[in-house]
Amino acid sequence: MNPAVRYGAIGFGVLALGAGVFFAPAYLNAYLMYLLTWIAIYAIAGTGLTVLMGWTGQIALAHAGLFGVGAYATAYLAGHGWPWPLAALTSSTASAGLGALVGLPAARLRGFYLAIATLAFGELLHQAFVQLTPLSRGPQGMAVVPIQLDGIDTPSLVWYLAMVILAAVMVTLTALGRSRIGRCLKAVRDIEPATGSLGISAMRYKLLAFAISAFLAGLAGAVFGQLITFLTPDLFDLPLLVIFLVQLFVGGVNRLSGALIGAIFVIAVRELLQSHVVSSLVPALVGSGQTLAFGLTLILVVRYLPSGLASLPARLRSRRPRPATLSPME
Amino acid sequence: MPPADVRLTVEDLVVGFGGNTVLQGVSFSVARGFTGLIGPNGAGKTTLLNAISGYVSPTRGRVLLGDRPLTSLRPHRIARRGLGRTFQTPRLVPELTVWENVMLGLDGHIGWDRKRSHVVSLVRVEELLRQLDLNDWRDHPAASLPFSSQKVVEVARALAADPLVVLLDEPAAGLGPAEVERLIEPLKRRVEERGLAVLIVEHDIELVTRLCSRIVVLDFGQLIADGAPAQVLRLPHVVNAYLGAGVAAVG
Ligand SMILES: Nc1ncnc2c1ncn2[C@@H]1O[C@H](COP(=O)(O)OP(=O)(O)O)[C@@H](O)[C@H]1O
Ligand SMILES: [Mg+2]
Repeated sequence: MNPAVRYGAIGFGVLALGAGVFFAPAYLNAYLMYLLTWIAIYAIAGTGLTVLMGWTGQIALAHAGLFGVGAYATAYLAGHGWPWPLAALTSSTASAGLGALVGLPAARLRGFYLAIATLAFGELLHQAFVQLTPLSRGPQGMAVVPIQLDGIDTPSLVWYLAMVILAAVMVTLTALGRSRIGRCLKAVRDIEPATGSLGISAMRYKLLAFAISAFLAGLAGAVFGQLITFLTPDLFDLPLLVIFLVQLFVGGVNRLSGALIGAIFVIAVRELLQSHVVSSLVPALVGSGQTLAFGLTLILVVRYLPSGLASLPARLRSRRPRPATLSPME
Repeated sequence: MPPADVRLTVEDLVVGFGGNTVLQGVSFSVARGFTGLIGPNGAGKTTLLNAISGYVSPTRGRVLLGDRPLTSLRPHRIARRGLGRTFQTPRLVPELTVWENVMLGLDGHIGWDRKRSHVVSLVRVEELLRQLDLNDWRDHPAASLPFSSQKVVEVARALAADPLVVLLDEPAAGLGPAEVERLIEPLKRRVEERGLAVLIVEHDIELVTRLCSRIVVLDFGQLIADGAPAQVLRLPHVVNAYLGAGVAAVG
């Protein structure tokens, strides 16, 4: 395509999208806006998993806990008078630090053992939300001070905030993926034994990926607090982790677009499972039955569509078998 | 007498895996140009490259790059000091393009804490793609390349940072005669032009003789010969070690 036409089309697309985001609260009902905001927040958190699991090939099951760290810490700091952006940034940075800590075992552990170690860390964070009552109010829950800006109602403001952050994250990560850092992360994933011979410290890039991923989880959590307005520890436990994993694998682990597609999928499915029709037909699908349904989805997707929905267009376009991967390492 | 301009010195290197001593006190040096490392399968050639590049720790002896010992440095530190290497099977990132894979050879050497600049790297990669005739492939993912081109890409990647010393583990293995020429001729030119020192493991004696001014022979973890190809290849014990392996390989 002619570059002028292409950039024109891209520019037009961006404008249309921006207008859509801007006018959405005026035309869509409040509940739909609530769901769309939720999707944007999960998409932000999901990009973190794309970086860590998709690009770097690490396993991290502390994501729900780190999402909670962002939510709680931001709510706590903002509740003590910090401006929200500063509170959110500080909390996300703290989450990044914890993420790097989770990543430390990645130096030695991989696969199953890394999964267990990070899962345990996530559970530890959940326990902290329950036990550290002076900070989190424990199971009683903690109200979130809503952000405010003159002339905009809070739900719309949270929607704009989520979409602006999502856009910034997508643009930044797209650039990162094509940069030196993106190449090194993928080298750690595919040819870790060879990275040393290239002067690349695999450990350093693993820690970086863990930190980036945790930062994004924390940032998403910070916005989530504004959406949900009341935090309880069980919001950040295993069911959320299962949802994140379904999102990642349904969307596709390798592509940033997968994080968004997966977020749309999990929110849509959750709404479906909670709808009156389904819940009156299959009462078991309410509550923990829902997590079970997501768990089953996860297994089916990993089995039958390992590259996720984001890979579907490319797959359908070329019915040819995928190119063979390189010969296995000895 | 050590040859002039020694880049790499291996001193009394001993490597064992469990009770199995794979290198038994190996000493030699590598200077500018090509040095051949030959020996039958299982002689310990790859293990020697692994010990030099920090992938396995020797139980005795040491390696010097220039005049600095590499003792107990991790592989990426050794690489940054100026050691490049390839692996017996190509290890490229399948989804990255040829350009990106070659760029990876410099990525670990660029940055705020390193000497090299990004612009120089871009120029360097262009040069290599042109010299090794990879431009037709540059925007294709490595996974889509034929095996022979993957090996060329891996060599290009190992040369990208202009290392003091490059270790090549059987770069021509699995290539047809025409493909060998496509790799070796530009490689030779590049090595001469940049004044590189290359230690090359290679089974094709004709190729080794053509490239190398000097060869070392490894057999059962011991260095059994070190010298100019014409002399070394005439030594009876070298011929024996090689013919023995040849017969074993056929049978
Ligand atoms: N990581 C390892 N653990 C145990 N034994 C090894 C290892 N690497 C190589 N060896 C053994 O060392 C010997 C030499 O292998 P190698 O260096 O690959 O030989 P070459 O490259 O000359 O064919 C072989 O007997 C091999 O089984
Ligand atoms: Mg070998």
